[in-house]
Amino acid sequence: MNKALGLLSHVGGVATLTIRTFRQMVRVEAALLVEQMDHAGIGSWSIAVLTALFTGAVMAIQFAVGLEPYGASLYTGKLVSLAMFRELGPTLTAVLVGGRVGAGFTAEIGSMNVTEQVDAISALGADPVQKLVVPRVLACVIMLPLLTILADFVGCFGGMLITMQEVGITPRFFVEQVIDTIEIPDLFHGLAKSVFFGYFIAIIGCYVGLNTRGGTEGVGRSTTNTVVAISITVLVSNFMLTKLFLAI
Amino acid sequence: METVIRFEKVHKAFGDNRIYVDLDLEVRRGEVLTVIGGSGMGKSVMLKMLIRLLSIDAGRVLAFGQDVATMEGRALLNLRRRIAMLFQGAALFDSLSVAQNIRYPLIEHGWGTRAEQDKRVAEVLDMVGMPGIEKLRPSELSGGMKKRVGLARSIAVQPEVILYDEPTTGLDPLNVRRINGLILRLKEQLGVTSVVVTHDMDSCFTVTDRLAFLYDKKMSFVGTLEQARAAEFPALQEFIQGGRGTLSDDDVARLGEEGVNQ
Repeated sequence: MNKALGLLSHVGGVATLTIRTFRQMVRVEAALLVEQMDHAGIGSWSIAVLTALFTGAVMAIQFAVGLEPYGASLYTGKLVSLAMFRELGPTLTAVLVGGRVGAGFTAEIGSMNVTEQVDAISALGADPVQKLVVPRVLACVIMLPLLTILADFVGCFGGMLITMQEVGITPRFFVEQVIDTIEIPDLFHGLAKSVFFGYFIAIIGCYVGLNTRGGTEGVGRSTTNTVVAISITVLVSNFMLTKLFLAI
Repeated sequence: METVIRFEKVHKAFGDNRIYVDLDLEVRRGEVLTVIGGSGMGKSVMLKMLIRLLSIDAGRVLAFGQDVATMEGRALLNLRRRIAMLFQGAALFDSLSVAQNIRYPLIEHGWGTRAEQDKRVAEVLDMVGMPGIEKLRPSELSGGMKKRVGLARSIAVQPEVILYDEPTTGLDPLNVRRINGLILRLKEQLGVTSVVVTHDMDSCFTVTDRLAFLYDKKMSFVGTLEQARAAEFPALQEFIQGGRGTLSDDDVARLGEEGVNQ
């Protein structure tokens, strides 16, 4: 019962922080936004690329082997690209980048909180939400879709390399299959999801950071909680968003 | 003397933990009021309620005659320009240089041009006896230096009141003397009103005009040092005797003169 109440309290807290963030969004400072876009986006591209490359490759191996008895190995490209663009690109990118970026947000803001730097921002006449939360939320909402596009294409590339080797198809054949398979809504669904994921990553990371108590031990605890909360939120919301977008 | 800050029947609790019950306190213009009391009794909470970093549960906090709880937007910004706070650990922003830290409130309060801001940064660093360290990062500063840079940041926008949260805790005797000297100098030269939260009794005896003793969730004693020494209040006497002052009146006067020149 207490855990349920605690969860509800956190949901309310995140909702309140969201409202304050949207109110301040028009006053975002360009320098802070660029700094966070660099940290969250540019700093995460290698994780997104590596993950997507090997995920695409593994899927291609599995599909090529699994479809062979049915003589359908040639369709590996279709399956890999569909899976990457619709689900794995946005979700895997969000989970991995979310772990890195969200944990970073919590550790940084949490440390500032326990050393009274967040209070100092207010005391010096500024708003911590405007200074700390708004640039991070906007940066994630902008950069995660870009990372997702990158992951989608790199995942397909990884799949193509393996399919060429295992099935013996040409790159041109693989690309034609991808173009035939992927439609605008597939791309849109993946990108729309990544916008929501970006918001969840940033708002959870910042919320937990702003509510960190208990010195350095508290910062460690909060950082762990953030990674868990972001992973669960991304996976659960992925299901709901998929249902929603398919219904539209 | 004019009252600049007044707590009226203030109540504050964190969950079941009641911090203040019927807290009453006045701070007068130009004085140094020192608040003493045991650790964890909520001395810092009082300072944070005053500039609304924390809200109160009941009662009123008046600053310059206005209810702090009703202030929004421009009024709250103006309050935080007139009342500055030096945090216990200085709370310098780790990601910014010393100059950027001090320029921070100047930017937020729309203080002059960039050149004027730079000039002001140099001025306040000079005031705290640390000229030429603009480019250093907080991680390159000692505890005492951080406190002085924190103080420089606090006084950059020329506040009328400065709240000091444990300004001398954790510092070596030389830095304690420097900080005490700065508090006295700001009072004497700029007429700044100070509220000092501390349990460093030497520091208390050095800078205090009036002393407030936090006990039993309220200010159980408020008066001058002489009144405090004469009060028949065992808890207060125990607190004062525990940190018996070792500085003579001559020492105190000299500290004010020496100020930051050390």
